Amino acid sequence: MNEDTTKLSRRNFFKAGTVLASGVAIASTLAPYDGLLFAAEAPGAKGKWYGIGIDINKCIGCGKCANACKQENNVPKDPFYFRSWVEQYTIKNDGSILVESPNGGIDGFKQSVPDGDIYKSFFVPKMCNHCAKSPCTQVCPVGATFETEEGIVLVDETYCIGCRYCVQACPYGCRYIHPEKGTVDKCTLCFHRLKKGLQPACFEICPTEARIFGDLNDPKSKLNYFLKNHTCMVIKPHLNTGSKLFYNALTPEVR
Amino acid sequence: MPLHIKRLIGVFAIFIALFLVMRQVLRPSSFGELGHFRAKAINENALRPMHYTVADSCTKCHKDIRSDKDLGFHIKLKCEVCHGPGLKHALYANRFKNKELPDSLLLYKPGERKDCAICHNMNRARIKIQFDTINTTMVHQVNVMKHHVTDPKTKEALKCIDCHNPHQP
Amino acid sequence: MTEHLQNLYEVLSKVEGYVYPNEIELNWSILIVLYPYITGLVAGAFILASLERIFKVRILKPTYGIALLTAFSFMLVATMPLVSHLGKPLRAYEIMITPHSSSAMAIFGFVYLWYLMVVLFLEIWFDYRRDMVIWANGTTGFKRFLYKLLSLWTTDISPKAVALDDRIGYIVTVIGVPSAFLLHGYVGFIFGSIKANPWWSTVLMPVIFLFSAMVSGIALVMLIYIVLSKIRKQIVDMDCLDTIAKYLFYILIIDFTLEGLDQIHRIYVAEESFEALHKLVFGKLFYSLFIYQGLMGTIVPLLTLGTLQFYKPKAKIRRAIYLILPVLVLMGIFFMRWNVVIGGQLFSKSFYGYTTFKTGLIGTEGYLMAATWLIVPFLILSFLLWLLPPWKKIETSHE
Repeated sequence: MNEDTTKLSRRNFFKAGTVLASGVAIASTLAPYDGLLFAAEAPGAKGKWYGIGIDINKCIGCGKCANACKQENNVPKDPFYFRSWVEQYTIKNDGSILVESPNGGIDGFKQSVPDGDIYKSFFVPKMCNHCAKSPCTQVCPVGATFETEEGIVLVDETYCIGCRYCVQACPYGCRYIHPEKGTVDKCTLCFHRLKKGLQPACFEICPTEARIFGDLNDPKSKLNYFLKNHTCMVIKPHLNTGSKLFYNALTPEVR
Repeated sequence: MPLHIKRLIGVFAIFIALFLVMRQVLRPSSFGELGHFRAKAINENALRPMHYTVADSCTKCHKDIRSDKDLGFHIKLKCEVCHGPGLKHALYANRFKNKELPDSLLLYKPGERKDCAICHNMNRARIKIQFDTINTTMVHQVNVMKHHVTDPKTKEALKCIDCHNPHQP
Repeated sequence: MTEHLQNLYEVLSKVEGYVYPNEIELNWSILIVLYPYITGLVAGAFILASLERIFKVRILKPTYGIALLTAFSFMLVATMPLVSHLGKPLRAYEIMITPHSSSAMAIFGFVYLWYLMVVLFLEIWFDYRRDMVIWANGTTGFKRFLYKLLSLWTTDISPKAVALDDRIGYIVTVIGVPSAFLLHGYVGFIFGSIKANPWWSTVLMPVIFLFSAMVSGIALVMLIYIVLSKIRKQIVDMDCLDTIAKYLFYILIIDFTLEGLDQIHRIYVAEESFEALHKLVFGKLFYSLFIYQGLMGTIVPLLTLGTLQFYKPKAKIRRAIYLILPVLVLMGIFFMRWNVVIGGQLFSKSFYGYTTFKTGLIGTEGYLMAATWLIVPFLILSFLLWLLPPWKKIETSHE
């Protein structure tokens, strides 16, 4: 009697165990681990899902992207308001790191460190990461900023109350309060150009094609080709923002 | 229930009712259609004015420059990289075929040393050291402070474009 | 060039290291320092009142009414710094009609209204209703109209009705205590939930805000009680003050421990941001953190209050201590808010540099505006004390 029950329960245990294990196995194929690429939505979903690639090796720090952004989007010219800017990193032989971005790089860069002292130096263009789990849209109290179906984070100027919570929540410093409008402003990935089938201004203007823009859902897109063939990384991956701005040759100094 | 409690509840009820009415009145019409935002805002964002055009719209008229450019290192450069946003120019310059263009349609004509230096001035950050330790660079690097600062005869400062054709360097 | 831009260019020249260009401007300025400060005073004052009402600390009776009215008058102003710092103040109503469920800030309007109307207003109303009915008969003119309006033109002061009022008032207070915790813990959460900012992002933030709120609220009521007694030429109840001081001491210990724990944890785990924050704390925040908040606002009051638990000097000396200590504590908590709000924006999220804080005297985010929002609650309080003087109330036993 006793033996029977133990046998039974053991069999039951194995049964349950198998069911559980296969259940987990099935579930894991159904919901694959969200890697850093395609952070929120699985590739292959319907429609476009825009992402950005930037090749740090190709950037020559001309600042044309930052300039084009300001002109295309009527961003205030003062050096406190940027949707897109370029940083120059210089790592000296003594290990110290110098980061500069005079006027966002619009007027060009000068290397202030003598060549002999430089371990390495490079430019990093920055812009909105159009995060899939964007902390900025999460915190907006009124729903004045949101993510479109295409994965672009936009602002509703006529509805923003200017509380600046989103500015605080953006880990990348990509938002600012427009001094005249009193509402928040940020990169729209030139949504007005995208809708006309054109590239965003900064991508259009980049002289070395260091900036690649495309549809993450399209396996044949230029961006997917770029991502597959380079070692790409996002900035601040530990914050799990689902950033869709991928850098080639990104080093840990870049924050 | 005593009268004062009834009246108190009444006052609160009026306030809550007022709030609910205001909520209905003030809520924007397209709010919540596609998520917690005004769906119309997407279209409003899409309707903002453009300032930059695309490369082909320049070379439709400026064919000579295109043929120049196609032979040089600047073949891949788009006109607006140096000349600035040109949508207005591309749209309306046609109307002034034999007349002078108004200022609003004129594009920037870069010619100063700084204009070239913005890409070509020597900067260690522009030079990449590859695996084989050969220095490579995306763009030609010149030390603008040393390279032909003055004309040897007149002793006057020269511009880069006095010797180099920017459309066919 | 506007003054705002001029300020920004001046700040730009003072930037140390590298900050993202959009970070040069400090987006949350002195008004956002005031907002948690004022809400904290409300929550703290209410907790003190509830000590008398539900925890039956009868000795605090003289401060019960003052604490309630203080909480109410500060609560009326609590949203004003927030609204006046908005880029579009006229759109503030949107937070009520389309609150975004995922935003830590969106529910504030409702939490605020709940606390103001359901907790504070109702408690005061039920507490004063009988007195307002009686006072309405003894006065004329505008004051009589106010009493009539506030008592909703009812005159029922039968023992049964009064007992019911007392019962409901008690229930409201019981609801009020968790509400006060919610209100201020929630304010802490607004900061604590910003993962982009390592100076804010800590689970302890709501708890720290809550206890610092109690500290500041209790200190404020203590101060107001002493000053009010001076003005009314009444003798202060030293037993009452001693008891408040005792509670202040206990809560200050908890507050100090929590904040210490937060910093110790920060130092021990020493995350990516550690070097940047270390430099911030010993640089731009040194005076406001170590001297004003730490030494003067916490250590000195803690030691003094601790000593008073063992050794009681003469009443005159104690009275002087009880007048100075709350001022120190209030200043300390103000700088605590300052260090959180301003300190959290002084360093770059790139951890490569620091910006500076600069604001003008005038303007929507200037010091005068901030001072206004600190003075207005006292004006409201004087009005309320004139309209509803707690010392003229008929003694009720709250039972």
